[in-house]
Amino acid sequence: MNIIFSIIREDTFWKILLFIHFLLAVGLLAAVTLQAVAVLMPARQVAGGFIDRSPVPAASYAALVAIVYVFQALMGAWIYIKYRTYVRIPMEQLRHFWTVGSFELKEHVVTMGMGLLPAYWYFWRQPLSAEHDNVRRWVTVFLALSVWYAFIVGHVANDFRGVGS
Amino acid sequence: MTQTLDVGEGFSQLDSSPAKDAPASTTQAGAKLGTFAITFGIAFALLYTVYERLNWPLFTYHPVLSVVDFGRQPAGVGPPMFWYGWIALAAISALVVAGVATIVPARWLRQATVFCCALAALWPVALAGLRIFIVGWATFDADFLNSAWVAAIPGFIGAAVITYYFPARLADRLWTSWLLIVPIVGLVVLGSSLLQPWFLR
Repeated sequence: MNIIFSIIREDTFWKILLFIHFLLAVGLLAAVTLQAVAVLMPARQVAGGFIDRSPVPAASYAALVAIVYVFQALMGAWIYIKYRTYVRIPMEQLRHFWTVGSFELKEHVVTMGMGLLPAYWYFWRQPLSAEHDNVRRWVTVFLALSVWYAFIVGHVANDFRGVGS
Repeated sequence: MTQTLDVGEGFSQLDSSPAKDAPASTTQAGAKLGTFAITFGIAFALLYTVYERLNWPLFTYHPVLSVVDFGRQPAGVGPPMFWYGWIALAAISALVVAGVATIVPARWLRQATVFCCALAALWPVALAGLRIFIVGWATFDADFLNSAWVAAIPGFIGAAVITYYFPARLADRLWTSWLLIVPIVGLVVLGSSLLQPWFLR
């Protein structure tokens, strides 16, 4: 770390890291939201015994979602060190208790999502099992909601003290 | 009607063909993988909630000093961070549980899941009940009852009774549903613990 800080300023380094975290979050949000929409919208059945394809090939990016989710969680865990000392303490001093509490809940939400990732990946393995249709759908929706919650709360915390604040 | 049946048959053929074509060892490995992944998901959410509530981290990180201490350590210079420690301990424990799950019969696993979930609900309820009894009802010095280990006795008995009378078919049907029930209930428990310090302040 000292080598990095000899090249760029410490706060610039954390801001770059936070910005990469944000960019990846946008990508993850897009992927998991599209997938959740795809599983919530059943495939249309048309005449002639053919099943029309879902608008999004949801299964194709399940592995990508899982990998980016883990990467994002690890990156968030890294940035969390800076948050704990540089952001949360002034947040408490300025009585932004709702923001602190929401961020605390974000840790738990993201952790619960991480625990579901092996099962999520298993349910999306090809060929998709009809037996797991329902649980696959709701695990995907849970992950999508967890990513949305983390994104919004992270954005609010960033507005308090982060990139561009 | 004919159309619907045709489509249904098509689906059943699609679903069963890989299983028919695949060698038995591959199918068995796939089933074990599924058991491992689902058990890990349930166990991780349950254990993370328990470890967070009991504040049992595997290690404590002190961000100001960049020092890691084994177990739970009090604040030194700057705030201590337990979150990493809860995750690490929950992940290790859940890996062990999921590994064991792949070698026990499926029926036992379903019943064990019901037992663990019932225990996770009943143990804190028993502890809260004991505390209410000590404060409001006891006519003797009942402080020795104010212990998580004493509360474990009614918790275990209650969970065993529930598991015994829980229909096996329902346990089988519910098994993958625990994957969503446990994290959601866990988040409700963890979220409610945040109400007093942050949201109702």
